[in-house]
Amino acid sequence: MSIMKLLSIAARAKVVTRRYPFEPPVVTEGFRGKIEVDPKLCWGCGVCTRICPPNALTLKKREDGTLVLSYFMGRCIFCGMCAEVCPRGAITVTKEFELASLTAEDLVRNVKHDVVRCRICGRVIGPAVEMREATKSVGGAEAKYYDLCPECRKLVVARGIMTKVGVRP
Amino acid sequence: MGEQSKYLPECPEMGEVVRKLTEEYGGHVIFSRESEVYVEVPRHELRDVAKYLYSSGAFLKTCAAVDERPLNRSFALYHIFGMDSKGYDVIVKVSAPEDDAWVPSIVDVVPAADWCELEARDMVGIELKGRRLVRRLVLPEDWPEDIHPLRKEVPHDFRPPSVKAESEFRPPERGIPIGPYHPVLHEPEYFELLVEGETVVDVYYRGFHVHRGIEKLGESPRFTYQKIPFLAERICGICGFVHSTCAIMAMEKAAGLRPPERAEFIRTIVLELERIHSHLLWVGVAAHVLGYDAGFMHTWRVREPVMILSELITGSRKTYGLNLVGGVRRDIDKNKMEKIMKTLDRVEKEFKELANLLVSVPQIRRRAQGTGVLTRSEARALSVVGPVARASGLYRDVRKDYPYLAYEEASFKVPLYTEGDNLARVLVRVEEVFESISIIRQLLDKLPGGPIMHEKCSAIIPVDELIPPGKYAVAAIEAPRGEDVHFLMTGEGRPYRWRVRAPTYQNIPALRPMLRGDPLADAPLTIASIDPCFSCTDRALVIDVRTGRARTIKLWDGGVGTCRL
Ligand code: SF4
Ligand code: SF4
Repeated sequence: MSIMKLLSIAARAKVVTRRYPFEPPVVTEGFRGKIEVDPKLCWGCGVCTRICPPNALTLKKREDGTLVLSYFMGRCIFCGMCAEVCPRGAITVTKEFELASLTAEDLVRNVKHDVVRCRICGRVIGPAVEMREATKSVGGAEAKYYDLCPECRKLVVARGIMTKVGVRP
Repeated sequence: MGEQSKYLPECPEMGEVVRKLTEEYGGHVIFSRESEVYVEVPRHELRDVAKYLYSSGAFLKTCAAVDERPLNRSFALYHIFGMDSKGYDVIVKVSAPEDDAWVPSIVDVVPAADWCELEARDMVGIELKGRRLVRRLVLPEDWPEDIHPLRKEVPHDFRPPSVKAESEFRPPERGIPIGPYHPVLHEPEYFELLVEGETVVDVYYRGFHVHRGIEKLGESPRFTYQKIPFLAERICGICGFVHSTCAIMAMEKAAGLRPPERAEFIRTIVLELERIHSHLLWVGVAAHVLGYDAGFMHTWRVREPVMILSELITGSRKTYGLNLVGGVRRDIDKNKMEKIMKTLDRVEKEFKELANLLVSVPQIRRRAQGTGVLTRSEARALSVVGPVARASGLYRDVRKDYPYLAYEEASFKVPLYTEGDNLARVLVRVEEVFESISIIRQLLDKLPGGPIMHEKCSAIIPVDELIPPGKYAVAAIEAPRGEDVHFLMTGEGRPYRWRVRAPTYQNIPALRPMLRGDPLADAPLTIASIDPCFSCTDRALVIDVRTGRARTIKLWDGGVGTCRL
C-alpha cells in the first residue's frame, strides 16, 4: 500500500539532483557571495574594517610606508555589512561563492594605499588619496597645512600668531 | 492558557509575587519592566522562594551566573522563572560574597535547575550547597581546577596548557557507548546506555565537546552590539535566526526601543520559514533513523525550495544576516511575496501527501508508538520545552504565552498530544509545519507599510550609545526545538554578561526517563526524537546513572544526520 503511494510520489517528482558542477548551481538574485573592493574608489579610510563582524577586512600599515586594506575570504561571512557602510561605495557584493583553493594566500585580496607623512615630524597622517580628496574641498589656508599632523599643525599655527603679535616664540 | 490551567495551578499576578518575595522572604526589587521583575533575595531564602514559585505554576527557564566582583565584590546567580500562564518572568537573584562563594542548590526542589547549576559552578566557580551530585558539566576533566572561564580576570582567548589526563569520571559499570563523535546525529556527543539484556536501565551523557565560548566572546572587546547578532546567528546551524533575533530582542529591550512594525512582521515570517525547514529536516532524519531512507530523501526534496526561498529573501540559505538592532536589512517586496506564496503552496501540498504516507507506514508506526515515553509529570519537573513538552501534554509555547514580534496578528493552533511517545513528537512537528505555513500567509496578507529600520538605527550608526550599561533583559523565542532564552546584562558598549540557553539544553535531561525501560533498539530513535541540537547546547555536560548489571557490546554507530547543513 504505502509502497505504491511512495512510488507514485517518486514518479511525479522525477530526478531533482542537479549535475553540478557540470550544470550551473541554483543561485537566486538575493544571494550574497564574496565582495570586491574597487581600488580606484577606495580611500583606505577603514570604516569597513570596523563594522566587519569576523575581522575579514583589516587595515595594515606596512614598513615601506604603505597602508593595505586586506580582504581575507577565508574569514568572510558574506554579510555585506562592509558594502553598506563604505562612504565611497567602493565595495560590491558579488554572487561568487566557488572560492575553494589550495592555499590561503589565494583567498587574500589587497588594496594598497600610499600614505601622507607629516612634513615636520614624519608621522603617518593618513592615506594619500583620502587626504588629497579631503583637502580639495577645504582649500585656502587649511590646504597649506594638509601635510602636517595635528600636533605640528598646532605648533605652526601658534608660532605664526605669536610672530604676528610680536612675541618671540 | 485555559489548557495550561487544566493541569497546573494558574500563576499569581506579578504584584502578588513581588509582595510575597519582598514581604515574606526579605527580598527587594532591583529592576522591573512590563513583563519582567528582578528580585534579589537573601541566599538562605532561595530554596523556599524556588519552592513557592515552582509550586505556583512557574517553569524554570534557566539560571545565569555572573561574576559581579568588579561591581560589588560578589558573585551572583540569577534564576529565571517563567510564569507561562501569566506571561511574565520573575528573575530571582542571590549574591555570594567573593570570599564565601556559595549559593544553596535548588535541584531537589526544581529538577530543571540541574544543568544550569553545574554550569554556574564550572564557568564562574560558585559552589552549590546541599547538592548531592556535583561534577563537571561543561569543562573537560583536564581543565585546571581553579580557572573559571567566565570570571572577568580570565581573558577571552585564554587557553590552558595541554595536560594529558585520564578522565577520572567514569560510570562504574560499562555499558553500550553511543558516540563519542557521531552517533545518531552527526555531532559530537556521547551517550552510554546501561542495559540488562536488551532493556536500557540507565543513561549516561557527556556533551559540550564543541563548547565555543561564544558568551565570553560576546563580552570581549572584539565585539560590539552591532556585531553580536552575526555571532549569535552562528550559535546554531539550523535555527540561527532564532538566536540572532533573541539576542537582538534582549538588546532592544535594554535600549527601550521597538523596531518598526514591518520589521517585526518580517522577522516573524523568517522565523516561521526557519521552523518549516527545521521540522522538515527533522522528519527526514527520523525516517532515516528508522531505516526508511526513501522517506528521508523525499522530505528533504520537499524542504529544498524553502532553503532557496530563504536565500532569496535574506541573502543566504542559512545564517541569514538579516537582523540588526532596530530592524531588518532587507524588505519583502511584491515579487518576493508572490514567490513565498508559491513556495508555500507547493510545500504544503507535497508535504501533506508525504506526511500522510510516513505516519501510515506500519513499520514506522510500530517503532514510534509507545516508545521513548516521557510522562507529563516528568516533563513538568524538568521544565522541558517545545515539541517535546507539547507531545507530553504540556501546553507551552512562547508564541502564545509571551507573545512577541507579530505573533498576536496571526491565529494559529498549538498542537498538543498527551501520549508522550516518539509518535506524538512526530505528529506535533508535522502539524506545526502546516500551522507555520498558515502563519506566514496571514502575516503576508497583513504586512504593514513603513520603514524596516528604526530611525535611530542603521548599519552605519553605532547602536552602542543607545544601550546604556547596567540594564537587564530576558528575551525568549519559540525556536523549532522549543523555547530559546537569552539573558543580557549590559556593560560599556557590549554585554557585561550574555547568557544563552538553547532549547536542547533543557530537553537532553529528559532523555533519561525516556530511554529507561525501553528496548535498546529504540534508543537511536528516542535520542533523535528530541531533535537535539548539540552545537547550540554546547555553547555552553554528564548525566550520571548507575544501576544494574551491564554487559558490553562493541562500539555501535548509528550514523544519521541532523543539525549541520
Ligand atoms: S570603507 Fe570603503 S573607502 Fe573606506 S577603506 Fe573600506 S572600502 Fe575603502
Ligand atoms: S561581507 Fe561581511 S564578513 Fe565579508 S568582508 Fe564584508 S563585512 Fe566582513
